[in-house]
Amino acid sequence: MLFIKLWNCLRGYVIIKIVGQYAERLINQAAFSGLYLWDIRRIEENTLLAKVSVRGFFKLHFLARKTKCRIYIMQKRGLYFALNRLRRRKILLLGVVFFIAAIYLLSSIVWKVEVNTQSEELKDTILKDLEQWGLKPGIFKHNLDKQYFLDKILLNYKNVSWAEIEIRGSRVIVEVVERKMPPDLEEDDPCHIVAAKDGIIEEVLPLKGEAVVKPGDTVSKGDVLISGSVSLAGGDSGEKKLLVRAKGIVKARVWYMESVEVPLVETVKRYTGRVKKAYKIRFGNKELYFQLGKVNFSSYEEEELKARNIISSMFDSVSLNPILYREVKEEKQFLGVEGASQEANRRLAEKLKILSGEVQIVQKKVEFTLDMEKQVVVGTLTLEVIEDIGIEKKIE
Amino acid sequence: MKRSQREELKSKFIEALDLPKDVVLDLPRVTVTGKVGVLIESHRGIVEYVPEKVTVNTSIGLLVIKGDGLFIKYVLADEIFIEGRVKYIEFDE
Repeated sequence: MLFIKLWNCLRGYVIIKIVGQYAERLINQAAFSGLYLWDIRRIEENTLLAKVSVRGFFKLHFLARKTKCRIYIMQKRGLYFALNRLRRRKILLLGVVFFIAAIYLLSSIVWKVEVNTQSEELKDTILKDLEQWGLKPGIFKHNLDKQYFLDKILLNYKNVSWAEIEIRGSRVIVEVVERKMPPDLEEDDPCHIVAAKDGIIEEVLPLKGEAVVKPGDTVSKGDVLISGSVSLAGGDSGEKKLLVRAKGIVKARVWYMESVEVPLVETVKRYTGRVKKAYKIRFGNKELYFQLGKVNFSSYEEEELKARNIISSMFDSVSLNPILYREVKEEKQFLGVEGASQEANRRLAEKLKILSGEVQIVQKKVEFTLDMEKQVVVGTLTLEVIEDIGIEKKIE
Repeated sequence: MKRSQREELKSKFIEALDLPKDVVLDLPRVTVTGKVGVLIESHRGIVEYVPEKVTVNTSIGLLVIKGDGLFIKYVLADEIFIEGRVKYIEFDE
């Protein structure tokens, strides 16, 4: 009964007045023909009040003619009529729509950016940098690329070990955990200067401590170059040692070798510029896949774009994934031995750039060999440089 | 005479099998809720309705409900629910 009542409230019902001598007969006929009448009251002689659903009313109207009763509508009730009335009030409706749109729009804007971390200083600088990178109040939260900002934070702040961006309502909360950097060696901590790389010593310039190696010595990685334990000369005790923090420059000849392989025939991928989009709707762990038209590219690359939450970020399980297909044209390019050598040279030069910091290049030798079996040109670069190989190492 | 004999036979048969009578014999089922409500199942229509008296037709004759401020809560093809202050319920032959 409750269900029927609720249904009628939704669909709408009318309160009617039945006037006639044989109103009971009308009620009987209505009941037997499957109509639902309720709250039937007699208010006067020959007059009944009753409630009936909208659809039932039209049937009842037909029956009333047969039983010579008259029906008058007293009141229209229910959601159906309420909406009907609303339809006439266009401005009000417009207001409602505008209101909802405004709420939605305002709630999809980031109003505040917060950084949570222990140190106030770090908080301020991160906040300032985020603003510069584009994460500031006023941007839309839906197309906020969290990963981009996280990467930027982690890249730019070496003392941040972990960061997380969370969107909570209209606030963006950036959680940052500061890393405790290993403490720099104190001035007083005694240490050696040891070799960072294998090489032949070219020059030793001890500023503090005792040079253990001399020019021409071959050292391997980890060998002590300038000792921090200095034997004190003189006195009777003889073998007394003083531990100091060794300092100095140790230049050594170091060799690097790099090689690259360049195939004689190279396939170059080129985008033709034609793209096709498809969509994937994700409900929880189910995926619904659809696209307009066909991908009729002979070869293409698939790229999944960022998933977007359609409804709101609260319903994380429902999201829309656009997929982009890019048409690719593969072109075979015959470089030849000459061309491949040039290419190898170019790549080696690039690698060289990575290598060379503050080094002095003594000798550079580039060799090209042709590997017929694999159809490649192998470029080998041998580099002889002189650089400072000393690093500090604490004395245990 | 023949009819009543047959009726009696039917009644005995049902009793022997212990079947619910209201279903098999098409008898009305009247449920009274205190003094406030009467539910009549398998009725045959309303004969008369005024706030003091509701007369409902059934297979075994008229069922008269008397009281004050009676009204019909709902009517369905086989169900009537009457509310109000109920005083008498009687079967008229």
